[in-house]
Amino acid sequence: MLVGKSMTSKVITIDKNESLFTAREVMRKNNIRHLPVVDGENRPVGIVTDRDLRSAMPYRIYRNPDTAQAESERIAKLKVSDIMTEDPMTIPLTYTLQDALLLIQEKRFGAFPVVDDKGKLVGMISVRDLLRAFINVLGIGEPGTLLGILVEEKVGQLKRIVDVITEENISFGSVLVARYGEKGKRAVFPYLLTNNVIRVKKRLQEIGFKLIDPMEWYIDQLNR
Amino acid sequence: MKKTGFLFDERYLIHDTGPYHPEVSDRLLAAYQGIKKAGLLEKLVLFKGVRVDLKWVEEVHDADYIARFGDACVAGKKELDTPDCQMCAETYEIALLAVGGILDALRRMMEGEIDNAFCPVRPPGHHAERSRAMGFCYFNNIAIAARYLQKEWGIGRVGIVDFDVHHGNGTQHLFEDDPTVFYYSIHEHPSFAFPGTGREFEEGVGAGTGYTKNSPVLPGQGDDEYRRLIVRDLIPAFETFRPEVILVSTGFDAHEDDEMADMRVTTEGFNWIMETIVGLADTYAGGRLVSILEGGYSLQRLPELVGNHVRILLGDPAGALQKNG
Repeated sequence: MLVGKSMTSKVITIDKNESLFTAREVMRKNNIRHLPVVDGENRPVGIVTDRDLRSAMPYRIYRNPDTAQAESERIAKLKVSDIMTEDPMTIPLTYTLQDALLLIQEKRFGAFPVVDDKGKLVGMISVRDLLRAFINVLGIGEPGTLLGILVEEKVGQLKRIVDVITEENISFGSVLVARYGEKGKRAVFPYLLTNNVIRVKKRLQEIGFKLIDPMEWYIDQLNR
Repeated sequence: MKKTGFLFDERYLIHDTGPYHPEVSDRLLAAYQGIKKAGLLEKLVLFKGVRVDLKWVEEVHDADYIARFGDACVAGKKELDTPDCQMCAETYEIALLAVGGILDALRRMMEGEIDNAFCPVRPPGHHAERSRAMGFCYFNNIAIAARYLQKEWGIGRVGIVDFDVHHGNGTQHLFEDDPTVFYYSIHEHPSFAFPGTGREFEEGVGAGTGYTKNSPVLPGQGDDEYRRLIVRDLIPAFETFRPEVILVSTGFDAHEDDEMADMRVTTEGFNWIMETIVGLADTYAGGRLVSILEGGYSLQRLPELVGNHVRILLGDPAGALQKNG
């Protein structure tokens, strides 16, 4: 679960002396929204986003014909270094995906440059990479069926569930455990890599578990 | 009344899925009993399965996969690719008989011997991918049928309707980039049910964009929601696409008494669905329609569901449809 495994390693960078038009073209061609700016040693010294470019090159300048010419000449002279965010926050290769998720949420950035222990750029980790990783964690890229099981909040409940599922020779895609509305209860959501859940559902009920009505499965109906 | 073909072959019972598996041979016996009890057997054109020419299977599946399946059966392997796909030594041959029977039904229809047909085969097919068995399915029966219609009979536009409670991932993937085969599926929402595909935003790729349509239904919904979505999604789609033949992936597992899923469609709801699809075939396809069985696991409900299904295919005005039991 380290960022190194999930990041984009083929990083496209730009020199700080390039024009904004070049930067925009590079983003467009590669379908990316974050361009790290590196020095001669491949160390990140800045970052430019598509949003930075949009605010530096607003279309509204053309609305005023008296100043449009002067404005566009001014923009043509701008360099990446004029608009980039300097000394961007980077994250080390050894950070976990959880670290990256929490940082992205806290800082409200769309991507972070990833650096090795010498501070050199080795990748980018973006919201897109994290989404891919999250889909992988949920197991929903593979065919399966989601169960919802209500359990008492005490030690050993998950083991009983896992035992039944294992005895039925069913593989797990993922298991989520969440707080449930009722006090002292938890909801367990095993994602099972099978189409065949009739018997496993019956057996879980036989040993006393309550299956949650599917329409109450939505996470937003659960306590946060 | 229409001339309706009925593919029935006791050899489809031989495919053995082992203990505790819902996809059992009793399902076909229940279907047969339902037709018999409804007094419809003598009104149908009965025929048996025939072994398919492998060239048709290769239209859809990789040759390596076909060989791997055959070898696994010969070697006595009990499953293919996933524990869901339990099998016996004869499964490969039975699967070839199932596909062959369906193609024979299509041939009879294209030659005018019958108007439409019901093909309750085992194993089912709509989860089978190009090179992977999945969800009780080995060969994608309906996909092979669509390609056969195009290549052997020059049919340009094939419309597939899939109302099994699970999304037909295999069928969708095989045709998602193909604008000559429209795939429509209504099924339990993939966030809750197998196989996790068939989301509303999956609408085909490349040249096939707009020729795949999915209506996911949230758990606990029944007749009203099915009706609303079919009217909203399927009917206008086929009005534009104008299929020359309609193939149906028929599954009865959205029934309220079927334990496989969480839907609450009633027997009357299934009647309406099938009447609607037959109506579309009459409007656009000169009535040409072949229904192929996928899921449906309630042995108590299958007789009435299949009886009604066949009566609707026959367009039998004399007989009343059975009520939800």
